Amino acid sequence: MKQRISETLEFRGEIGNCRICCGKCGHALAPAGTSWKPLAVLSVVQVGQLPGASSAVHPGVVFRQFCCPGCGALLDCETALPDDPFLDDIVAAPTGSK
Amino acid sequence: MDPITFSIIRHRLFRVVEEAVITLKHVSGSAITNEGHDLMVSLYRADGSLLMGGVGFLHHLTSAAEACKAIIRRFEGNINEGDVYLLNDPYTAALHTSDIYLIAPIHHEGVRVAWSACFVHVYDIGAMNPGGFAPDAADIFSEGFSSPGLKLVDRYELRQDIWDTLLNMVRSPEMVALDLRSMIACNNVARERFLALIGKYGVETVDGACRTLIEQSEMLLRQRLRELPDGRWQSRQYLDVKGEISKVVLTMTKEDDRLIFDFTGSSPQSRHSLNCTRWASLGGLFAPLFPLLCYDITWNEGVIRPITMIAPEGSIVNCTRPAPVSVATVGAIQSVNNAACSTIGKMLAASEKYADEVTAVWHANHFAIFMFGRNQKGGDAIGILTETFAGAGGARSFGDGVDIGGEIPNPISRMANVETMEASFPIRYLFRRRMKDSGGPGRFRGGTGGELAIVPHDSPDGGLHYVISGKGSAFPMSDGISGGMAGALNDYVWVHAPGETHNADRFAQSLETVPGEKQPISWGVYPLQGEDALYVRWNGGGGLGDPLEREPDAVLRDLREGTVSEAAGSEIYGVVVQSGAVDALATERRRREMRAARLAVAAQ
Ligand SMILES: [Zn+2]
Repeated sequence: MKQRISETLEFRGEIGNCRICCGKCGHALAPAGTSWKPLAVLSVVQVGQLPGASSAVHPGVVFRQFCCPGCGALLDCETALPDDPFLDDIVAAPTGSK
Repeated sequence: MDPITFSIIRHRLFRVVEEAVITLKHVSGSAITNEGHDLMVSLYRADGSLLMGGVGFLHHLTSAAEACKAIIRRFEGNINEGDVYLLNDPYTAALHTSDIYLIAPIHHEGVRVAWSACFVHVYDIGAMNPGGFAPDAADIFSEGFSSPGLKLVDRYELRQDIWDTLLNMVRSPEMVALDLRSMIACNNVARERFLALIGKYGVETVDGACRTLIEQSEMLLRQRLRELPDGRWQSRQYLDVKGEISKVVLTMTKEDDRLIFDFTGSSPQSRHSLNCTRWASLGGLFAPLFPLLCYDITWNEGVIRPITMIAPEGSIVNCTRPAPVSVATVGAIQSVNNAACSTIGKMLAASEKYADEVTAVWHANHFAIFMFGRNQKGGDAIGILTETFAGAGGARSFGDGVDIGGEIPNPISRMANVETMEASFPIRYLFRRRMKDSGGPGRFRGGTGGELAIVPHDSPDGGLHYVISGKGSAFPMSDGISGGMAGALNDYVWVHAPGETHNADRFAQSLETVPGEKQPISWGVYPLQGEDALYVRWNGGGGLGDPLEREPDAVLRDLREGTVSEAAGSEIYGVVVQSGAVDALATERRRREMRAARLAVAAQ
């Protein structure tokens, strides 16, 4: 089965034993119901170095880009200061009842 | 009740609100009300619960319900036909002191059957700074008068002593009087039209329809929530004031037919006035919830029942008296709104059925810049730069965000014409336009924000001053979704040139070409005098999806229109343009290399 998690991620596998996968190449990142971001490739971009930065941009603020280890697709992006944890989004594993 | 009658009453209730909004706009003389649409009108049940949420700033729908309930608690037994009550204390129900609620009971044959409530951001509230936003206030006592509830009109008679006392505490009392009169007129219209509805259908039928309307909204929202996947989504917003960083952290949990918004982990309340109270936070999270989850459901008490909010006491989202809160509406409340927009967007993105409703965060950075001084006619002028309401749309799952496309929490927000501002203030615009590279990059990009510069013009005093409560220039806040990046930051730059230079280019067309020393500012009172200029730019909306998957021709169109720079086209979107056309092969190669470079990070 396949079931959507976001624009870029989906569940794949059997009910009760499915995994969070890249929607583009199907690379399995993590078991359903767990945090997938630590298993993605993290690429950190300084906001201040991007086109469109302001004259007062905070020197520490970054975009964390979580990419698929299989195909390099960008799966998610979050704004962060270095000491802050990853935003942890968890969609309940498919049960087959919905 | 037959469904046709029910439907007619439902629509008539909405028209009651609409006509009251028109009254408010036509009587008020402030640009912030009749140009910026910083207003709200709604109808409430006899017990104060929300019956029919109107348009305008949606943050106020639930707060004004609490204001009705606070008035009932204080005055029960002495609430009469023809009364009008005023409430603007943020620790009772309001968002900040300058957003005054005027609340009126609606009686039918001596029995209270409903309330109408409205607000405008009044011209002045007597705070330490003109216009109501007091960035340097240390506590609420410096933020103007605040009332937990008073009777302004008693059985159709204005209480002149109260009226005179209020106007004695504010700058430009004639303008504040006009604001208050606009709200009295608005409530009068709402009452007359509501009673006309009862006159036509009878009080039992209208009451029955109102009760059913609330039950229906609850049933429909719970049904929608059950269709959406269970899960937990997080969001985080950074607010910077004078180098002090605060965070609004949200975990939204969806279980069956309930939604829980938990702000545990948000920063302790700030000494700066961007805090908000509990009722304000509740309003902040409902502002995106109404349009994103209830676009086809009447906004009333029924929508509120499935929702729970956890806001730790003493935090920036539930501050304790006497913490200052005058900047709340553009501060913590807006961040609550942004965070809720982000988590709701992510929940929708997890649903096959609702994937088309997904949006990144829209215009996340209001800025309050209130100019004050004498205008070119010698009169006093206090007023906001209404570009803060111009907004920027977040990217959707089917297309780009709308450039300068408004904002989620106010479906009718807009900015004043340049000419309106130049006629009211001794200023001249050098330019106002869409801002390059402000839309958050993505497969679909966020709508652009804008930029403007103003200089003094024809002022009897050589210029004027302004109060700026400008967040969002240190951290991007219009979050993207599913890989889309956040919209660009705000920027506030004071360009000051010594008076003796006399060589200012008075028609400069970019920040770079305005002569003078450029100083980033964001908080406090600054001059716009002599050769000064003020440059402001506001954020774009968040993007959606991987920018490397954006149609190359869409990037080319952005390059031609000046909404994306060549640097961004190449470095963020990976598009190679040769002789004015997309080089498809080179673009594909470049994008492949950029994806490989992402993975190379892991190998290091
Ligand atoms: Zn992949």
